[in-house]
Amino acid sequence: MKRIIIDREKCDGCLNCNIACISAHEEGSNFYTVNMQSPEAETRNFIKFDAQKGYLPIFCRHCDEPECVLSCMSGALEKDPLTGHVQYDESKCAACYMCVMNCPYGVLKPDKQTRTKVIKCDFCEDKPDGPSCVKACPKKAIEVKEVSL
Amino acid sequence: MKIVIIGASAAGISAAKTIKTSEPDTEVVIISKEDSVHSRCMLHKFLGHERDAKGISFIADNFFESSGITWLNNTTVIGLDAQKKTVKTHDNQDISYDKLLIATGASYFIPPIPGLRESKNVYGFRDLKDAQLLDNECNTAQNAVVIGAGLVGMDAAVAMLERGLKVTVIEMTQAVMSLQLDQKSAQAYQQLFEEHGAEFILNDKVVSVDVDEVGRGKTIHLASGKAVPADVIVIAAGVRPAFNFTEGSGIDTNHAILVGDDLKTNIDDIYAAGDVTGIAGIWPNAMKQGRIAAINMLGEKLLYEDRYALKNTVNFYGLTTLSLGNINPEPEENCEILMREDRYNYQKVVLKKGVVQGVIIQGNIGGTGFWQYLIKNKIDVSGINKDVFSLSYADFYDQDQNTGEYRYAV
Amino acid sequence: MNSNFSCKTCASADQKLETFISNLSVDTSHHRMEGQSVKCGFGLQGICCRLCSNGPCRITPDGPKGVCGATADTMVARNFLRAVSAGSGCYIHIVENTALMLKKTAASKGVLKGKVALAKLAEIFEINEADEHVCAEKIADMVLADLYKPDYIKMELVEKMAYKPRFDRWKELGILPGGAKSEVFSGVVKTSTNLNSDPVDMYLNCLKLGISTGLYGLTLTNLLNDVMLGEPSIRLAPVGLRVIDTDYINIMITGHQHSIFSYLQDRLIQDDVIEKAKAVGAKGFKLVGCTCVGQDLQLRGEHYKEVFNGHAGNNFTSEAILATGAIDAVLSEFNCTLPGIEPICDELKIKQICLDDVSKKANAEMKPFVFEEKESQSNEIIDAVIESYQARRGVVTLNMDADHGNDDTLTGVSEGSLKSFLGGTWKPLIDLIVKGEIKGIAGVVGCSSLTAGGHDVLTINLVKELIAKDILVLSAGCSSGGLENVGLMSPSAASLAGPKLRAVCESLGIPPVLNFGPCLAIGRLELVATELAEAIGVDLPQLPLVLSAPQWLEEQALADGAFGLALGLPLHLGLPPFVTGSPVAVQVFTQDMLNLTGGQLIIDDNAKSAAETLDAIIEKKRKELNI
Repeated sequence: MKRIIIDREKCDGCLNCNIACISAHEEGSNFYTVNMQSPEAETRNFIKFDAQKGYLPIFCRHCDEPECVLSCMSGALEKDPLTGHVQYDESKCAACYMCVMNCPYGVLKPDKQTRTKVIKCDFCEDKPDGPSCVKACPKKAIEVKEVSL
Repeated sequence: MKIVIIGASAAGISAAKTIKTSEPDTEVVIISKEDSVHSRCMLHKFLGHERDAKGISFIADNFFESSGITWLNNTTVIGLDAQKKTVKTHDNQDISYDKLLIATGASYFIPPIPGLRESKNVYGFRDLKDAQLLDNECNTAQNAVVIGAGLVGMDAAVAMLERGLKVTVIEMTQAVMSLQLDQKSAQAYQQLFEEHGAEFILNDKVVSVDVDEVGRGKTIHLASGKAVPADVIVIAAGVRPAFNFTEGSGIDTNHAILVGDDLKTNIDDIYAAGDVTGIAGIWPNAMKQGRIAAINMLGEKLLYEDRYALKNTVNFYGLTTLSLGNINPEPEENCEILMREDRYNYQKVVLKKGVVQGVIIQGNIGGTGFWQYLIKNKIDVSGINKDVFSLSYADFYDQDQNTGEYRYAV
Repeated sequence: MNSNFSCKTCASADQKLETFISNLSVDTSHHRMEGQSVKCGFGLQGICCRLCSNGPCRITPDGPKGVCGATADTMVARNFLRAVSAGSGCYIHIVENTALMLKKTAASKGVLKGKVALAKLAEIFEINEADEHVCAEKIADMVLADLYKPDYIKMELVEKMAYKPRFDRWKELGILPGGAKSEVFSGVVKTSTNLNSDPVDMYLNCLKLGISTGLYGLTLTNLLNDVMLGEPSIRLAPVGLRVIDTDYINIMITGHQHSIFSYLQDRLIQDDVIEKAKAVGAKGFKLVGCTCVGQDLQLRGEHYKEVFNGHAGNNFTSEAILATGAIDAVLSEFNCTLPGIEPICDELKIKQICLDDVSKKANAEMKPFVFEEKESQSNEIIDAVIESYQARRGVVTLNMDADHGNDDTLTGVSEGSLKSFLGGTWKPLIDLIVKGEIKGIAGVVGCSSLTAGGHDVLTINLVKELIAKDILVLSAGCSSGGLENVGLMSPSAASLAGPKLRAVCESLGIPPVLNFGPCLAIGRLELVATELAEAIGVDLPQLPLVLSAPQWLEEQALADGAFGLALGLPLHLGLPPFVTGSPVAVQVFTQDMLNLTGGQLIIDDNAKSAAETLDAIIEKKRKELNI
């Protein structure tokens, strides 16, 4: 499967991945027009900072054994057998947030406005060029690579 | 090989899926009492008319057909012959198996209170059938009484509030959801429910129920002397693992079916998973057990080690809470309790000798999944030179260089 | 095999140039675009603040305000006003130097080539003085006196220079500028840490800076230069890389201050200097135009036929010009002198000399122009260039492109030369507009950039769309450099215009895109617009006139833009000026400005739809004028 491989040494914490993610999920927006102040603006990837370790990019791994899928009681989260990516069906989601609790890496979060859905990386499956965050990274700290399951 | 699974909820379905994914040729038969597969955690959405029966399913429409699984629905298993390797159904079929998975879950329990068990308008809130019966009652009822303010009781209450009923919740302890919350976080929910019209009677107990001439409980009498009128009563006072049919089969039980780490019972080829084992407690664990039992039934060896079940999330009226571990320690446990609060958030961390024992995060629970790992693996965080509330997975960041998967550096 | 750093160059509207650059073995800005293709989203939106050590703060969903509490609106406004202040400062520096040069030239009884310009300024400034040197010195003094006023004392020439209805509106809005240098100072102070937080106040301040920039930095710089260097006159001239003649010692000039070259350009064609050139095997010296100062020289080319070989290209052509190997020295006095030329100069042994200490290039010799030492300085420069020529020619491989550019670009268009061309009156032009033979006028101005599709891509495509709609295009700035090199300023380009404009152009023998020269000449466009408005008897916002800086590049362009908005003109930009992160900014620029000055910002990087929008505005204004 394809996974976003992280080279955290290269990360400068510019947060372009955040903007790209928010823009990718705001219909018709681009880097100029994406509304960073919208209540709906949510990023699916996170850059943490640690004085010793530097920047720590936290991106959904679409895990081989996804705890979020195992914890989902509505069938909203499924691991696609073909792509290996964990897909989320918002219409099925019951917003119980068992997945938030069970993601060991703290990637998942409730949407901040309504708390009726989960904000989760969809690997930009609808974008022909792949994940928007990867394209937006000026340092190539994140790159899509094929990994064996 | 033919595997029979009794029960079509989290553990049963998860097991069936696992079997069919790894060995599609294995014959799988699922036997379930219900005629639908649904998530019990979403029953309140059904009762509240937010979703229909299909909407609370957690499998695809054509799950059984497309996976090649035989589903005997509306079928209750009433007996088990471990020697012949057959199960007997209510309609007297004997179904043979090579391996059997018992995933019958648990059923609700009506306490022996005078009038309560006799009342025709008393319902549990465990299965779609319960919810459907309640749904009917809600069409005419005005006053609803929920006995028990645990998660299930609160689910029922929120749904009936949604339906416009006057809802009174009666709880023995001094706070709602006392297994998941502490006084402060419980208070926040109680207040929200009250704002939506609910009434809570805490620290009180049902002592009797007046039953009318047609057999319906009408007035609920409490230890305090209070009397609460009721058109419909929901009992949410706990559940018991459901395994009556195993009587005489030789399977070891002790209020639950006893299993080893491989989820096998004392009898070869018979496994159990989910609530019936008494070690699941919660949906994600039941799913995981179903999966692990399936793998073991297929002959591989995988142990169930993630026994950690003291965990839950709560989401009512958009107020979300994560609750993990020992959140209300007794003074003699000598725990250190740290709290932090702002306008939108309440956080509590229980520490003992640097190891996190329990956590309550109320408000923004985004990214809090790492706490479970810390608690269940008893990670000592005292060496991390940082406010405990600032911890995140980043403090344990590590990656598998080949697969790119995250690991914990601890 | 190509040995350059990155093989992929960005697109250019100038196909020949694109091919030339993609085959170069030196690294150019066109090569570097790829490596800079990933842009910072916070920067693009203007929502990053670096004003204090709590920062840099960025506006994110989890951080909707800076640490200090600054909102996106405040951050964007501060960043924008800072940029406009800096841009204004650049132009004010130019006009200050130009006025000082005029003052010293006049005081030393130097040659004043532009008698018409002198008379015109004397009239505007209400100076009644028969002696041209005394008159010129008074003019320079009046300009300098205004520039050096404090910000709380209004500049006196604004009312004399500005069109009355505009002046009145500016006065109502409270945006009449004080001393132009002090206004730059105020703009910088306002935007420092935890001072101004009011976006609207800051945008009004931008308009004020726009006025001082426009009237002084642009318009007056042109006129003062005309006095010293001669007025533009219309002629056909060669452009592009073809203008470089390898038989000569070639000096590429970059910057914005034509007057700094005033003495040198005359000196280069004096016999003793030519003899020096001949002594080392060259036929003499030639200036090769690049960036705006090259445009200025081209504009006044009629006066410099011998020393000036033609304009080779705009800022983002400068690296290619050097890469021909036939340039022996670069004399630069201001922007747009790209740092990217430095390694090329090193590699090709090209001597670099900087003539203004504000724009010292890292590896260049610094020789700030001193009026009193212009003779000796010029001789030193000439000797240094000859030395460079000797050291490099024959050693450095030449890589000429005689096919690039054309020989018939119409140049020398100005408010004066155009009016003369029309017979000394604007009436013929007004008649054509009234009759609809020319639907309207678009000033396509500003810079050249490598964004918005590539080098000059949006500029050229937009201009093609506009002329096809019978809109006459006037160009000033590096945009002209691109437009002329692709032939849009050649009379034959009339065939690309709509049927009505084409007929007009063909009957007059002119192209549909008129070349006003450097960005400074945006001030000339303002003079044309004002004179047209005056002749018709309307205010500027009523004219069927639009502005576009499709490929604005830098802070100066933003100050120019602020002038355009202060004039009340619709202003199109290809890409937003780093303000879209602020809802207030977007509201002010695209909507509220209409009520403030009559101006309006239009952002569109699509040539076709932008042209349609501008066309619709022109149609609307025509309708309102009942024409």
